[in-house]
Amino acid sequence: MNTSADSVPPLPHRIETIRAHQARGGRVAAVLPIHHPRALFRAFDILPVEVWGPPQVDATRGGAHLQPYVCSIVRNALAYLLSGGLDLADLIVVPHTCDSLQGFASILIDFIHPAPPVLPIYLPRGRRASDVAFLAEEFKSLYRQLAEITHRAPSDVELMECLHREEEADARLADLYRRRAALPQKDFYRLVRSREYLPAEKFSEIVGAALRAAPNGRSQGAPLPTPILLSGIVPEPMAVFDALDRMNAAVVADDFACCGRRLYPPGKSDDPFTRMAERLLTAPPDSTRDDAIEDRLQHLIRLTKESNAKGIVFYDVKFCEPEFFYLPALRKGLQAAGIPSVTIEIDLNDSLSQQVSTRLEAFVEMIA
Amino acid sequence: MSLVDSLPYQVPLTFGRAALRVNRWRAERAAPRSKSEHLAPPLKISPRTKELIARHYLEGRYANRHRKVAWVTSGAPVELLKALDFYVLYPENHAALCGTARAVEEIATEAEHAGYSRDVCSYARTDIGAMLSGKTPVGRLPKPDLLLACTNICQTVLFWYRVLAHHFRVPLIVIDTPFIYTEATEHAVKFVQRQLEDAIPLAERVAGKRLDERRLKETTRLSKQASELWLEIMARGKQRPAPISVFDQFIQMAPIVEMRGDAFTVDFYAAMLKEVDERIARGIGAVKDEKKRLLWDNLPIWYRLRYLGEFLAARGVAIVASTYTNAWGELAPFIDPERPLASGARTYLHPILNRGTGYKLATMQRMVAEFQLDGAILHSDRSCKPYSIGQIDQRDRLLREHNVPALLLEADHNDPRAFSEEQVANRLEAFVEMLGV
Amino acid sequence: MAIDIRALGIDVGSTTVKIVGVDAAGNAVWHFIDQADPRVEDQVDEFLARAREVANGNGALPLVATGYGRGLVHQATRKITEITCHARGIYREFRHGGTLVDIGGQDSKVIGIGPQGDVIDFAMNDKCAAGTGRFLENSARRLRVPLEDMGAVALSTTEEVVISSTCTVFAESEIISLIAHGAAVGPILRGLHRSLIKRIVAMVRSVGLVPPLMLSGGVARNPAISRMLEEETEVRVILPREPQLMGAYGAALLALGMTAPA
Repeated sequence: MNTSADSVPPLPHRIETIRAHQARGGRVAAVLPIHHPRALFRAFDILPVEVWGPPQVDATRGGAHLQPYVCSIVRNALAYLLSGGLDLADLIVVPHTCDSLQGFASILIDFIHPAPPVLPIYLPRGRRASDVAFLAEEFKSLYRQLAEITHRAPSDVELMECLHREEEADARLADLYRRRAALPQKDFYRLVRSREYLPAEKFSEIVGAALRAAPNGRSQGAPLPTPILLSGIVPEPMAVFDALDRMNAAVVADDFACCGRRLYPPGKSDDPFTRMAERLLTAPPDSTRDDAIEDRLQHLIRLTKESNAKGIVFYDVKFCEPEFFYLPALRKGLQAAGIPSVTIEIDLNDSLSQQVSTRLEAFVEMIA
Repeated sequence: MSLVDSLPYQVPLTFGRAALRVNRWRAERAAPRSKSEHLAPPLKISPRTKELIARHYLEGRYANRHRKVAWVTSGAPVELLKALDFYVLYPENHAALCGTARAVEEIATEAEHAGYSRDVCSYARTDIGAMLSGKTPVGRLPKPDLLLACTNICQTVLFWYRVLAHHFRVPLIVIDTPFIYTEATEHAVKFVQRQLEDAIPLAERVAGKRLDERRLKETTRLSKQASELWLEIMARGKQRPAPISVFDQFIQMAPIVEMRGDAFTVDFYAAMLKEVDERIARGIGAVKDEKKRLLWDNLPIWYRLRYLGEFLAARGVAIVASTYTNAWGELAPFIDPERPLASGARTYLHPILNRGTGYKLATMQRMVAEFQLDGAILHSDRSCKPYSIGQIDQRDRLLREHNVPALLLEADHNDPRAFSEEQVANRLEAFVEMLGV
Repeated sequence: MAIDIRALGIDVGSTTVKIVGVDAAGNAVWHFIDQADPRVEDQVDEFLARAREVANGNGALPLVATGYGRGLVHQATRKITEITCHARGIYREFRHGGTLVDIGGQDSKVIGIGPQGDVIDFAMNDKCAAGTGRFLENSARRLRVPLEDMGAVALSTTEEVVISSTCTVFAESEIISLIAHGAAVGPILRGLHRSLIKRIVAMVRSVGLVPPLMLSGGVARNPAISRMLEEETEVRVILPREPQLMGAYGAALLALGMTAPA
């Protein structure tokens, strides 16, 4: 298998990226899932670093504040914070993605009082003109809060520059998706997920180099792998890609909130706040944005057909209500369209379990 | 709309209402039986409550023949739909009714068999199960012509109503009320107001008529009046002994949720207030031997109301206040009948469920002080994350900072399979002992 | 006289390990079953030694491993999930599709099988003891009824106590409470079986019920299971001759179908 070691610059780790940024005098924001305006933070020289879990932490400290029926993304985030994992952050940003993140931000603000300030962002649940207008105002309010914290006041020109850099990075991300067959799966997802912490310009540079170094076409491997589409919130554990390699299955497209659903298109407006809002509100369909079932279904069918996937694996974090509500209608619609699917539940604190492996394997055997 | 057209609707309704009236008269004239040695008999107005609820569902059975039907969330800005003559159904209320009727397991399994996870809200599973199977204890639910979901109680309703919209193929209006972590922002208020205004043309189109401004104001005024009366009734719980308990409130709240904006609802609560004051004058307490007074936080446990009421009453414990029932009264001051939409934006932003965990704690503390309470039961409802998240810290602070004994009780508001009677009885017993009864 | 074994299938479960040998025509001609030993590889070596003995052969036979512990069977030519193997085995037995319910000691699964024997859909319960043999085992201990008699005792009465707890742990305390209040063992057992069946039926419904219902796994021999499954679904339930061996049998058939190892 081709590795990305050849002429691609090495992928920096989260910690070194944070330290490098802070050494240059910049601040770092710990950002909870899912959608947030990266450009706005960068304009204040704040590097947004996302917290998806992280996986495999001791979640018991989270249990002191959160009931067991809260998902492991949120419980792990709290446990991580309480054990000092977010001590490097200068601020904590919590987008309002779901009821659990709502509660998380609320208990931080009201009871836990972490050292860094906690900034919630309300994301409207529609894609109407009124939603764009509201979100632009919400971002202006966030601007004012960031100005107070940093004592800076970036101009519209500076905001637009940062926006252009983010749009450039997202264009590179889209390129990466188009050329995904050329990379080993795990490397592909490592690159995609580096968007969670790398500065946009660094991400563009690394992805550009990776794509130039990659062969044109599929990476070497003897028999044609069984193509599948993965849909869910976050691809954890990353070991799942090793397992899929062993089963000779390839993820040819994804509908992950962390990945494929954040292929943000470029904005149109000349006003930076409106443009930031537009970008988030024209992203692909997402359960946490309350998109219509039919929209998500058509999106999945289109993705499946374009990528020639033979089936869809719904790979969801246990207790995720936004995801769970959509599954029956989606699966029924997919079945009518001749696309088999299976559902798998994961917990971020499980390493790749026998149960998950077997389900994946059985599904791959079924559709091969 | 000719008289002939409306006959298939009016005729069965007229007969049905008459039959319900007869039932009520009979029940009112029957000798009051106190079924319990520890609890006061139910309020004399209870047959009227039953009649109103039954009448509501009776109308629902025939509503599709003659009216436009809207299914709405419990926190929805319903006044504008009522002013457009929609028959309004609350799936949450229907689900709660299934809960009290012990029908949830059968109905929710229909949704579960269709693939809905048991980890999603039990109200939603009950409703979706009823939608898929047609099963309901109320005979027949009308199909919606319009759906209205407001996020001020939770995000779950959004996904739930998308499922309904997909199944029924009818328009869905979403009123997105940004969550208030500390204070409502001006742009949030403007956003809600704009959504309300934008909703009107669609609602009018479905209703087939124009919204009458005066009718909207009148409906809003009636809503406010009923809410104020409800607030008064709950405030009577400050008396010692409390004339009604929250278990009474859980039953008597149906009209304020389902029939808010109707004139008869105002009359109903005015009559109830009168009866409650009579009880106070005669020193009648909901619990015959009230020794300790508690707060209930979060949704009721619909399928075990009598069990819990009896269990506690037998030990001299009365639950006299609840953050949940209070939610339908505390917004009354926000409502301005002269500016229905503008005041509506603020009103619908401020239900307790749309506010931070700190505000919820402050509310609990305030109620403990005002009602002179000895402790609190926090129902950790696995189906209701917005209400339940934060309870662990709230309980800790009640205990440590305010010396208020507080019990965290794990269960579910509608799904009896998530209720362990052994566990609950044990915990309640221990808690009651802690209160020093 | 030597048995003509051409291929082997081994099902390494968490409670038992089963091995089946098939002849060139795919008939099951030999099998062996034993309690699962944590030292999987050693146990598999022993099983293979037995197979060689009865087959009187010296050549390596193609071997497919399935089940919970298949990952550890390095001797296997291929490892295939129990879903695919069970479907294969039961299809060969009955020669028609339908819905297969497999209830093991620690897990249960439902497999929708098409008219050509292909797997159409499946559902697995391998995280929660409720819905598996373990649920009944625990209760058998509490009620002091031998495991093999559970079904008969449950069927011996028409009275039934409703067990409302879905969790095995809660159900146990519910049973204790019921016994303390004087409920009889028969009706309690009926209620427990009913609970188990309800979980199974939920999985069946999620996969979609296509008659007939076929039952496999160690728990299949419990007569109350098939009777109640028929009651709840109103569909005929049929059992293969050796319900516990369907996984290993299917694995052996898959081994037979392989030409040379990859």
